[in-house]
Amino acid sequence: MLIRGAGTKMDWGRTPAAIDVILSTRRMNRLLAHQHGDLTATAEAGATLAGMNRTLAEHRQWLPLDPPFADRATIGGILATNDSGPLRHRFGTPRDLVIGVELVTTDGALAKAGGRVVKNVAGYDLSKLVAGSFGSLAAIVSATFKLAPLPAASKTLVIEASDFDALGRIVGAMMASQLEPLAFEIHVPDVVGAELGPPSRAGQRRPLRSSLQLRFASVAAACDAQIAQACALAPLTDCATETLQGDEEREAWETHARRIWDAPGALVRASWLPATVSAAMSELRRMAGSACIQLAGRAAIGAGLIRIDADVRAQAAVVEQLRQSALFGNVVVVRGSPDLKALVDVWGPQGDRDQVFASVKRALDPDGVLNAGRGPL
Amino acid sequence: MNPVFLAELRHVLGAGAVLQDPLELITYECDALPHLRSVPAAVVLPSSAAEVQAIVRLCAREKVPFVARGHGTGLSGGALPVSGCVVIALSRLNRILSVDIPNQRVTVEPGVTNLEITRQVAPFGYYYAPDPSSQQVCSIGGNVAENSGGAHCLKYGFTTHHVLAVEAVLPNGEMAHIGGSLVDTPGPDLVGLIVGSEGTLAIVTSITVRVLRRPETVQTLLAAFDTIDAGGLAVSDIIGSGIIPAAVEMMDALAIQAAEAAVHPGFPKSDTILIVELDGPAAEVTALFDVVQGICRRSGATTIEVAQNDEQRARIWKGRKAAFAAMGRVSPNYYVQDGVVPRTQLPQVLNRIRQLEARSGLRIGNVFHAGDGNLHPLICYDERVAGEADKAVEVAAEILSYCIEAGGSLTGEHGIGADKSAYMPQMFTPDDLALMQRVRAAFDPQRLCNPGKIFPAPRLCGEVPGPYRQHPVEEAGLAERL
Ligand SMILES: Cc1cc2nc3c(=O)[nH]c(=O)nc-3n(C[C@H](O)[C@H](O)[C@H](O)COP(=O)(O)OP(=O)(O)OC[C@H]3O[C@@H](n4cnc5c(N)ncnc54)[C@H](O)[C@@H]3O)c2cc1C
Repeated sequence: MLIRGAGTKMDWGRTPAAIDVILSTRRMNRLLAHQHGDLTATAEAGATLAGMNRTLAEHRQWLPLDPPFADRATIGGILATNDSGPLRHRFGTPRDLVIGVELVTTDGALAKAGGRVVKNVAGYDLSKLVAGSFGSLAAIVSATFKLAPLPAASKTLVIEASDFDALGRIVGAMMASQLEPLAFEIHVPDVVGAELGPPSRAGQRRPLRSSLQLRFASVAAACDAQIAQACALAPLTDCATETLQGDEEREAWETHARRIWDAPGALVRASWLPATVSAAMSELRRMAGSACIQLAGRAAIGAGLIRIDADVRAQAAVVEQLRQSALFGNVVVVRGSPDLKALVDVWGPQGDRDQVFASVKRALDPDGVLNAGRGPL
Repeated sequence: MNPVFLAELRHVLGAGAVLQDPLELITYECDALPHLRSVPAAVVLPSSAAEVQAIVRLCAREKVPFVARGHGTGLSGGALPVSGCVVIALSRLNRILSVDIPNQRVTVEPGVTNLEITRQVAPFGYYYAPDPSSQQVCSIGGNVAENSGGAHCLKYGFTTHHVLAVEAVLPNGEMAHIGGSLVDTPGPDLVGLIVGSEGTLAIVTSITVRVLRRPETVQTLLAAFDTIDAGGLAVSDIIGSGIIPAAVEMMDALAIQAAEAAVHPGFPKSDTILIVELDGPAAEVTALFDVVQGICRRSGATTIEVAQNDEQRARIWKGRKAAFAAMGRVSPNYYVQDGVVPRTQLPQVLNRIRQLEARSGLRIGNVFHAGDGNLHPLICYDERVAGEADKAVEVAAEILSYCIEAGGSLTGEHGIGADKSAYMPQMFTPDDLALMQRVRAAFDPQRLCNPGKIFPAPRLCGEVPGPYRQHPVEEAGLAERL
């Protein structure tokens, strides 16, 4: 049995041998409660994040998550994959915001854990156990989250870095500063410059450089003050910077969210230590060989998506190199052709966690019914 | 206890690290809930993860229950020994394994205290955010087990939001590396499951946490109100206006009186005081602090005092943090629970507590984390008066039932432990508890790892929730309760 929300991630995971039943949550799509005074909300698994946030906005609140496909993805799917986007910098991943879940296990029991208060240490926090389980332990029926107030104002600083050393210095300076951006993104365009910047006045399009994108969201005065402070940081003094607001800002973030998904090739999730960014990006370029490689991710967290556009053997080679690299870890194929999935394991080695995964899986889904064969367990 | 087993323990650890002398064992018979006591069969003092692993392997082989213990400051009997058990005291695992400032990560052994992490990184302008008021003395291993929090968790979250990785010895003696310095280990979030599992799933032998840059600015105010409802209104309006303060704390008249008697913070004589702290970028804090002051005035604040410097801020916090221990100034004994209610239910639940106070004849002081609805009712009684201690326990139980009825929780910080396991069925159905038990059995099929905690079981004689007594660390002035 495979559980399906909006179906935005149906091609994630290993290729299953067979699927007998698809359990769709599409009709379980209600926002069950919005306790705006408590800054919490409960939604059924099939409710979309976008729909939920439209309702929450009536009270100037939101569930501050922006995973890929945020317009269609459902709460159940987002929690089950613990998927996130640039807002992770401030708010974390779904596991950091979820405060209660209702689950159905394969024996038909309906059980809950956590609750609807933000502070609660009674019993095991099973909402964490389903975060990242990809629907292989239990079906999520509903989930309760803590919310955040919508920011009053927002501005974005885009910084182009001349090279990876400069990139590393800027990331280091930002992290060591007292600036508190809402999001702090890194974008490394592909080597061969297939992605071109907007035409200059002379009509030329030059290859994009690596860039950092910082969104400050607060009262308006604080956005301005923080952008000024950021620009005054030493490593930024001779970088090209641009401050965006309003529609321009919104577009920049929409482009950033899409750019890696819209282009062809395999997509691989990977992590690195944020202070090693310049070494890690240099190594990534070396690994690329003739492949086009693009990266977009969270600069101060050290997590992102790498797009590998090449023939399938070259894609597999990059995945293997990333797994062997001392600078990268947790390399998971998110989007890949069946051919790629035949060459490399989607999930990669699980280390000594494997034993725990196996016994938890046996305890909750002894017949191996849920998400059979797709993984991660 | 099987002499061969003991000899093996001594062989692994050295004779000095296996305690059996009844006088030495007494130290380990309880945590900071001293009315729940049970002497362990032995106490072992490992000095490394490998030794913990060897101990657990032996226990698993011999089917001897084992109980991890940090620094024994728990308030729910989490580290309470069970009959015939080995207590694995982790105080010697107290090394700082790595401090990585550029990556904002620190790795330590579990016996390191919470505050020591901040001490390690403070020279670089960093701190470890979760701030239980026992932070000078409690261990980070205990924090992981209890998912501990403090006054500043409203904005910054609890232990679970700051732990990146743990190394753990599973109840079968196998080692598991869970999470990592690199984020996003694929698969279910086992770190999140282990944090807050009260030592029932594994023994944690190293912990990697995230440390935060100190905020640019901190502003603190103290507002006084004539009624608790007016103070409550101010809290709702602050949150309603889209501000998430670093901390929002409330104290009622009895708590104010006690704090005043103990540490003379100079709090205004009033029915309710509210402490609001904002932190973050200077421009943001300056703008929002004005809004907060306006809200306090409109809600009927009789006075508003703004801390002009760190010293004044420290004085306000001292008064707040002393409130628990200070109850001793106004009552011979008191008992405390830490139930949670949705913030909007605070006025309703506080009114019920007021009615209960009148009905029971026991005075109840209230000091609480108003921002996240975490109550700390302090039920005053005199143990010399026959029946009052029992009445205090009944009153505490009734307050917990108000919390559940209001959609809240039995505990926001202290954990269920042995103390509140009997109340779990009020909050969870048999199916909820059965699912949790299945997860537990996946880790610990032999039920050897801290048995008798969290899950309701028929209580043994004398094993009833009981009144509060001052913990030795409080007596020594090393920690205050929040
Ligand atoms: C005066 C005072 C004030 C307090 N204030 C607060 C507060 O503000 N906020 C708050 O949250 N708590 C507070 N507490 C409660 C307590 O300090 C915390 O629960 C703390 O985390 C316990 O740490 P410990 O080292 O003393 O653990 P212990 O009491 O020794 O053990 C607690 C639990 O952790 C388990 N455990 C310990 N170490 C490990 C390990 N390495 N691996 C696995 N399990 C382990 C034990 O088995 C037990 O279940 C306070 C306590 C006191 C006495």
